[in-house]
Amino acid sequence: MTPTRRNFLMGAAALSAAVATPEMVRAAAALDATADWALATRDLESDVAPQALRLVHGRAPAGLEGTLFRNGPAKFRRPGGSATHWFDGDGLMRSFDIRDGKATLQARFADTPKRRYEAELDAVVTPGFGTAGDSRARLDSNDAANAANTAVMVAGDKIWALWEAGSPLAMDPGSLATEGFVTLRDDLKGMPFQPHPRYAPDGTVWNVGTSGGQMVVWHMRADGGLIDASLVRLPRASYLHDFTATDRHLVIVLQPWVFDHHGMPFASQFAWKPELGTQVLVLDKADLTQSRIFELPTFSFFHLGDAWADREGTIRFDVAAGKDVQFAVEGARVLVQQRGRVPGEPAVLKLITLHADGRADMVSSGAVGEFPKANPRFAGLNRTLTAHTAGETPDRPLPTGLAVQDWASGASDSFEFGIGHIVEETVFVPKPDARTERDAWLVGPAINLRQGVTELHVFDAGHVSDGPVATWRADVALPAGFHGAWKG
Amino acid sequence: MKIAALALIAALMAAPAFAAPAVSDDATVTLTFDTAATTGQVMVVLFGSEAAYGGQGAPVAQAVVDVAAGQHTATFTVPAGDYAAKSFHDVNGDGRMNTNPFGMPTEPYAFSNNTRGNMGPATWAQAHFAVEGDTAQTISLR
Repeated sequence: MTPTRRNFLMGAAALSAAVATPEMVRAAAALDATADWALATRDLESDVAPQALRLVHGRAPAGLEGTLFRNGPAKFRRPGGSATHWFDGDGLMRSFDIRDGKATLQARFADTPKRRYEAELDAVVTPGFGTAGDSRARLDSNDAANAANTAVMVAGDKIWALWEAGSPLAMDPGSLATEGFVTLRDDLKGMPFQPHPRYAPDGTVWNVGTSGGQMVVWHMRADGGLIDASLVRLPRASYLHDFTATDRHLVIVLQPWVFDHHGMPFASQFAWKPELGTQVLVLDKADLTQSRIFELPTFSFFHLGDAWADREGTIRFDVAAGKDVQFAVEGARVLVQQRGRVPGEPAVLKLITLHADGRADMVSSGAVGEFPKANPRFAGLNRTLTAHTAGETPDRPLPTGLAVQDWASGASDSFEFGIGHIVEETVFVPKPDARTERDAWLVGPAINLRQGVTELHVFDAGHVSDGPVATWRADVALPAGFHGAWKG
Repeated sequence: MKIAALALIAALMAAPAFAAPAVSDDATVTLTFDTAATTGQVMVVLFGSEAAYGGQGAPVAQAVVDVAAGQHTATFTVPAGDYAAKSFHDVNGDGRMNTNPFGMPTEPYAFSNNTRGNMGPATWAQAHFAVEGDTAQTISLR
């Protein structure tokens, strides 16, 4: 071989890569050390008894009275085996109660058959979304794997802990004691009930659950009583975590992450096929056999915003859109390892429009965003505001800020806490005399990494960039939760 | 999480119950069922080999326990050997193991040794037990 300048340089590069420079050693050590964001996936060893939170900033807004219930995984590791994916830890139900200007926190694990069995073994053995599990698993029904760890729904005088592949788990809103799985109708026992029910202007609640290319559509009263359940065949067996709805339509977004083969963990069954594009199935609530399909360029997603339709039948909704499923498969695994670089790019908040003539388009807000939430008074109706977490970068996982996107003006009203904080989903709480969408507070927790504790923040939804109007501090850091619901 | 419909359903759909003929030197196997509901009946099938348990061969015996009438026990008289049982509680008494529209059982089912399935029936290795003299087990169908 004749030496050339090009392969000489390549040789030099290869040689230098084999030599550990001080910079490389430092970089490797940084990757090996536990990350400062590791509190997000810490293990909580026991329930948290009710504790008064200390007001550390601002003052409690007059008229803000109620409870923010939140759910999320809080126990991943056991000596005989561990959950290896963020979505597979045991569900911890938290309640942040605000009353008479004071805030109280308590938290209690969902007492599932899975948690009981694994506590007995002192090993996580059950397969999950991204956890393989092992032969000790007792998987004789979907609910045997139910971690009840994703979201919470207020159902009459109960709260339901939700997990996408199984039944709701009823808990007492006062004591957070587990009461048991909910069977909405005997012949539908164990059917999946997804974590994002959608509220209709008529006061009823819609939800879905999927298994391969089949979907059950649940229609309930506000107290959780079943009105009707129907089966719908999907045009493709996509992975589905969330759907949305207008006052008249159910909107099912079918990403090109499609069922490929049986296996465990659950997510391993799906193949990412970006060449297929993303489809949107729209069903008529009044007649679920009436459907339309729209085609969009490829994106991945977990979460959608509430949808609305105008008189001409144009449907709009927002999505926290991803480029691919790297975070879902790999990033959420690294989060539980608590060290290293978390793969996957942050999702971006986008608005999808489904036109009456069959066209569909998607515009970007330009803002990094996850956990989109809208004012519940406007669920299914024309609206312009979407609150979302913000501030995540490709180099660092998890959100550090909060923003409200105004789709009418295109403006984003945001507040950045900085990298010392992990900001969780906030929910809109309409003010007592609310007239507009903006007349609301945004309530949600964040982990203060420097103090090593969880804080509860209240923002004015119309003035997010002013920062929190009140902040209370706990004496414990709860791991990052997923989704919450407000009970006034 | 889609779990394949269990072979148990087919195994339990067989002919009506009969009592195995008593033969000297045989032992009794008494299975007591602890049920959550007090309606319907428990269907139980006893197998005498791994092959039969796996669907390749006939069961040794089967029984219907009339839970609605207050019964909780099935007794089989069998020669010494290895056995395993599959059972379900037909809570609504329609004679079938009901499933939801996605194919998952909606009525409680269980195996001998109180072993639980893992994405299918419990294996023979988990569920089998030796019968050398009179043998009794309580199986939870909750």
